[in-house]
Amino acid sequence: MTAGGGAGVHPGAAVRQLMLQQKFGERLASARSMNWNEVHADARRKEDIPELCLYVRDELKGKLATIVCSDERRAKRSFVLRYAFDIGDVEDVFVIVSARVDGDSPSPTFPSVALLLPAATMYEREIKDMFGLIPEGNPDGRPLTLHEHWPGDVFPLRKEFELRTKVARVEGGDYRFLKVEGEGVSEIPVGPVHAGIIEPGHFRFSILGETVVNLETRLFYTHRGVEKLAESLSLDQVVLLSERISGDEAVANSSAFCQAVERIAGVEPPPRALQVRAVCAELERIYDHLGTLAGLSTDVGFPYGAARLNILKERMMRLNEEVAGSRLLFGVNRLGGVGIDLQPEKAQLVKSTANNVLEDFSRIVKLLKNDSSVMDRLRGTGVIPPNVAAEMGLLGVAARSSGLDIDTRRDHPYGAYRSITTDPYKDTPRRLIEHEVEMATKRGDVLARFETMVGEVVNSVDIIRELLGNLDSDPELLSPVPKEALRPFANALGYAESHRGQTIHWVMLGKESGTVFRYKVRTASFANWPAIEAAVLNDIVADFPLINKSLDLSYAGNDL
Amino acid sequence: MIEMDKKEPPHDILGYHIETDKRALEGGRAAPGFRGDVGFPEIDTPPLDADLCRKVEEVCAPRAISSKEVDGKLRLRLDKGRCIMCGLCEEAAPSLFRIQSKYAKPVKTRSDLLVEREPDRATDGLGQSHEELGKQLSKKITKVLGRSLAIREVDAGSCNGCEVEVAALNNAIYDIERFGVQFVASPRHADVLLVTGVGSRNMEAALRRTYDATPDPKVVVAVGACASTGGIFGDTYATSGGISSVVPVDVYVPGCPPRPEALLYGLLLAVDRIR
Repeated sequence: MTAGGGAGVHPGAAVRQLMLQQKFGERLASARSMNWNEVHADARRKEDIPELCLYVRDELKGKLATIVCSDERRAKRSFVLRYAFDIGDVEDVFVIVSARVDGDSPSPTFPSVALLLPAATMYEREIKDMFGLIPEGNPDGRPLTLHEHWPGDVFPLRKEFELRTKVARVEGGDYRFLKVEGEGVSEIPVGPVHAGIIEPGHFRFSILGETVVNLETRLFYTHRGVEKLAESLSLDQVVLLSERISGDEAVANSSAFCQAVERIAGVEPPPRALQVRAVCAELERIYDHLGTLAGLSTDVGFPYGAARLNILKERMMRLNEEVAGSRLLFGVNRLGGVGIDLQPEKAQLVKSTANNVLEDFSRIVKLLKNDSSVMDRLRGTGVIPPNVAAEMGLLGVAARSSGLDIDTRRDHPYGAYRSITTDPYKDTPRRLIEHEVEMATKRGDVLARFETMVGEVVNSVDIIRELLGNLDSDPELLSPVPKEALRPFANALGYAESHRGQTIHWVMLGKESGTVFRYKVRTASFANWPAIEAAVLNDIVADFPLINKSLDLSYAGNDL
Repeated sequence: MIEMDKKEPPHDILGYHIETDKRALEGGRAAPGFRGDVGFPEIDTPPLDADLCRKVEEVCAPRAISSKEVDGKLRLRLDKGRCIMCGLCEEAAPSLFRIQSKYAKPVKTRSDLLVEREPDRATDGLGQSHEELGKQLSKKITKVLGRSLAIREVDAGSCNGCEVEVAALNNAIYDIERFGVQFVASPRHADVLLVTGVGSRNMEAALRRTYDATPDPKVVVAVGACASTGGIFGDTYATSGGISSVVPVDVYVPGCPPRPEALLYGLLLAVDRIR
């Protein structure tokens, strides 16, 4: 029984299934466990969604992981909504609550859960834009993905919408930013084209003197139609597409997609392939964290440190090129395995480069930590308190820096992470207490995120050492994915911990073998973006770049 | 402050020595396994096999490969502007395509990116390291502009891979500023717009306004497969199939993403375009 294959069910999943059945009985059309750790509960009526969601949140300790809408009108005459909850705090299980929304209605609606689960707000707005389902009770009725120049009756993810349709622009629309009024309050609009070499997004600050009293972000400028495009590509091509969801988290996103398909097919990649995948995922984490730490150093006006961290990042990117033939680690993952190998000389190169980089890295970090002009800017800036972090459903570095002890690699072990100890603190009671104290003292400020990232770079090098030390001797790198195993409309979740946090992909296969019916992507950035609006409150405008960098958000990964 | 250890100067990461980055510069060229330009081995092979052609066409996600019959003979065409260097065509048909470990050559016109199976064209400059290219660029900038070249980078819907590479130009290893190239904060100060991304519909207006705000003479460099042609994202409801449908493009830099040397080469061509 493996977590990768389709066979078997996690005992925790069976228990959750029973609990849901007992509680909701006849109100569920079906409840079943599948794909090892997924519990599916299908409600008969969409009106039961809020109650089911509340039950999963409060009784099963679930955190909203994603909301997936899919247009299944051809098969079921309805849209299907799936609310995936992550109960990784308790056990390696996902609970997926689903319900159908009548597809024949001219203006289909569904009950909003935004007021119960604040994290749901964005998903519901997205569903409204892309499918035209109206979330009844969502306080925010503004468009999200489709900006004001899109006509109101265009819903790109509906099946009747053709991928290559060119929709006429509507002129004169305006986005309603929340207006803060009062004596001395003024607004600063920033973007979408920024001053630095970064991605596009619009920020609207309301300020009183230098202090930010409100910030609103407007994103989705880089919306490229990833999810719709996937429906027209073959599975192998979607792997390439998933690498380009967000270029700097290519390995994480493609791993998540591959795992989803491998689960559907019941295929377990060879052990060596999983190890290569994990090594590349950690290489990605290292070079990205180095880049972010360099950015922090730049943003506090300390280019001396930044220049050196960027040298290390460049060294890692050159290592990436040696290992994978791409400086951004494109082309690592394949369905059922990986496309590259770590031959002994390459493994040796990875080990020695990582060791050298780590040695230099620790010297630079020591320098930064001894510099009060750096530390003073980081300490107490951009605070996200633990309760806010929990309510918003923060992920990854941002969450761990606010004291939320979550990490997909540990909570939902996948691939090679099943056999390694990502968290050495979990081993002994004493370590456990130390770890708990450490998590409890995380203040959620920029300094905490700085320290978390530093720790993760060191940790990643450890993981790479451990993986390379135990590389499986069987040279097999690909398990075949048989066509007949890809059953029409079979679906599964795939997930991975990118350097930003959990990335979770839901895949439903198409009727034709080797096609995708629906591909829903939720990167950590989508979950973490709203947090920036909370983090900058009461800080000064000049600290915004620093706070933004410390949260390390991807625009492309959010906008899709 | 940490005291500098005088005993190990050459590789001291905290030192001020030029040697700090010399070690890293030694590898100025692409590694042997780097997936770059697509080449065509065995040009003399007899007529193409229709099945094989269909197979490579199907395997190519950005639809860079197309075949058609001309005078009764099947001919393959490769659009290097669309190519994302995944290498799947080489795996499907090693007799037709070979991935080379050098970057695809930036060009000045879109049609130069469309190639038929032919012997490799002259690859002037492609064997040069970053240093050599940079010195050439510096000389050219002095000649054409007098002093320095100011660049404004615009992300018009990229996956941020190109941003990583453009940002790398600024690190202490590539250090593009020593060649007289400077990234500026406003289009009003720029000579060159370095545009990445598919030209997403939501960015169209912003890109056009950025272009309008740039003073003449201005040059637009399309960076990467997405900006050149839409790349893997193609021409869909959300994208424009390359930024040339939004603003006039002077230089195309193929690649997914283009490596820093390719960007420098693209800038060399861009300076040519300034009049």
